[in-house]
Parts: sequence; structure tokens; C-alpha cells
Amino acid sequence: MDTSSPAAFVNGGLLRMHVGRKVRTVIQVTRSDAGSVMGKSTDGCQLVVRGSPPAPLTSYVEVIGVAENENSIRAELWTNFGDSFDASNYDQLCQLANGELKHLFL
Amino acid sequence: MQANEFDGNAAFAGGGFMPSQATQTAPDRPSYSSKNSDARCLTPVTVKQLKDLSKVGESGISIDGVDVNNIVLVGVISKIDNAVSDCTFRVDDGTGWVECTKWIHEHVDSVEVDVISVGMYVRVYGQFKSIQSRRPITDFNEIAHHFLECIYVHLYNTKLRPRMTNATDGMTAQPQVANSNSGNHIMGFSHQTNSTNQIRGISSMVLQYLRRPACLASEMGVSSDIVARELNVSVDKVRKTLDFLASEGLVYTTTDDHYKFTDA
Repeated sequence: MDTSSPAAFVNGGLLRMHVGRKVRTVIQVTRSDAGSVMGKSTDGCQLVVRGSPPAPLTSYVEVIGVAENENSIRAELWTNFGDSFDASNYDQLCQLANGELKHLFL
Repeated sequence: MQANEFDGNAAFAGGGFMPSQATQTAPDRPSYSSKNSDARCLTPVTVKQLKDLSKVGESGISIDGVDVNNIVLVGVISKIDNAVSDCTFRVDDGTGWVECTKWIHEHVDSVEVDVISVGMYVRVYGQFKSIQSRRPITDFNEIAHHFLECIYVHLYNTKLRPRMTNATDGMTAQPQVANSNSGNHIMGFSHQTNSTNQIRGISSMVLQYLRRPACLASEMGVSSDIVARELNVSVDKVRKTLDFLASEGLVYTTTDDHYKFTDA
């Protein structure tokens, strides 16, 4: 068992709290180029994710990687989350997981 | 519990996610002696919770004061080692990773194992020492849902359970969970306009009970008497609830007064 590389659940607003650390989030893809993907976070912020996304990309994709700054992530792992996903549910989870229940996750 | 607020306890109870009522009456018993009533409990956990638990070095495994033997984990497979008699794989849920072992006794076990591949999200059921079954995830709302369940159960065990004997302000510790319509989960039918909150609570409990593996496996289904007895609700209410659920297509009758969950 190893918890040395946990990824914090973040949305756009929480990303700044984890700059330089491993994070995970789900974005709704708005634009996809070779080398980066632009998307909307679950709380409505525009985020840039650098890396090589899988093809094809579904509307929602989870990325796990390192936060470069408050609106960009360097992705290590991409997972297609399909086209129907409850973003507000996930957003609430991010807020809870960074609040007083942080100890369950990090 | 107030019937006009989100009855999270009812929503999560019955399916074995919450500690059964029986364990609350004797809080001073040592945790490892109440194994029989808690053995039915299936607790959603994060790997971090499991790690914190073993750091303390308890011999009777418990989390937040509740005996934990059977657990649910949701995560990504990061490594698989396939041998003849067993399959070891690593599940990473973002809070850490844990090695899981699936023992292969029959052909059906190895078929299960073949479906699993690296990079896939799975939900794993098992005991802290060994893993019994897992299945791939297709609806990714399950992931957020699993972690929310971990949070809910944790809060319930640490805040609500100690107050159960007073039973007055038990709702204050309820997390503000958005009423999500995730996939095939029971909360999805909360958009019924004419059902009162009380029926909704009982419906969730009954549905969760009927979704338990033992109930699903039984060909005959479960009689309403048994459901009423197990959930500690009057038979009358259970029958009304089952009728309602049947009219919604969520359960169906097998023989007279026996019900089964419609495996959608």
C-alpha cells in the first residue's frame, strides 16, 4: 500500500492551492490541439491541459497530472469520462475533499 | 431524523453500506467482538483511509469506530500480475494504491479477470486482506459517487452515531450533498412529483435491500415480511412502497408477495 503520490481533487478555483503538486480533475473539452486541450472545469473556469490526449476524446475527460499554475495542468494520465457526466456533483466532491474532509484523501 | 430533509441515512442504508441498527445499542462493547452484525456491512473507503488504519496497528479492523471487514474501493488498475491460481492487481484511487488479490478457483473467475485491463476504472469489493470481486465501471459518475459515499459514511460514523441515543439534532452533521441523478443509483428517482419525503426514504431503503447480492441471487425474490423485518419498518408501509416501486418498474413480483429488483 502506498499513498505517497496522491492526487488532490480540484476544480478551477481550487487548482491554485495545489500548484506544483499532483492533481486530478474533470474538464469539459472545448478545444483540442496536438499537445494541449482546453476545457471548462466543473466550476466554470477555463483550463489548459498540456500533454497528449487520447483519440478520440469524449466530452468529459479526467486528467491526472501536475498543476503548473492556477489554470494549467501537465497531464500524465487521461481517462475519457463519456458524454454525460454530472459536473455539479463532481464539483461538490472537490469542495468537500479540500475542506474539512481533506484527511480522507490526502 | 427529520423527514423533510435529505434523508441520507435512508438513502445509504439497507444495502449494507451503513452499520446496522443492532450495533448502536452497545457502544461500550470492544469493537472486535461485534463481528457478526457488522460482517454484513460494506463500507466504501479510500486507500488513504485504509493506510491510516493500518498505521494505528489495530488487530480488529475498524474505521471511525465501526468494524470494517468488507470494503468497496473505486480506482484505476495500474498493474496486473496474472498467475494460474490468482491474479494480483494494483488499484489506484487517487489517494494512494493498494494491492488486491483475486483467487481463481473456477473458470468464471478467470473470465472475470480477463475483462480487466490496465488503465481501466473498477469498483472492487472485498475484505481488507483479500479481494472477492470487481467489475469495470462504465458510468463515471460512480467515481464521484463512491467518494461522496466515503465522506458520508465517515461523517455518519463520527458525528451522527454517537448522538443516536439522543436523536434530536442528528441532522446538523449532514454534508450538503447535491441531489445527483447519477446513473442507476437510487437517488435518480427522486424526481417523482407526488411521492412524499417519507415514502422516498423508505423506497430507497427497500430498493437498496433488494439490490443486495443475496437478494439478487435468490430466484424467488424476497417477501415483504422479510423486508419489513430486516429494515425495521411496518409491513404495511413496505407493501405500499413495493407496490409503488413495482409500478415504476424498479421491482417486480415473482410469486405472491415476493419481490425482486429489476436488474436494469
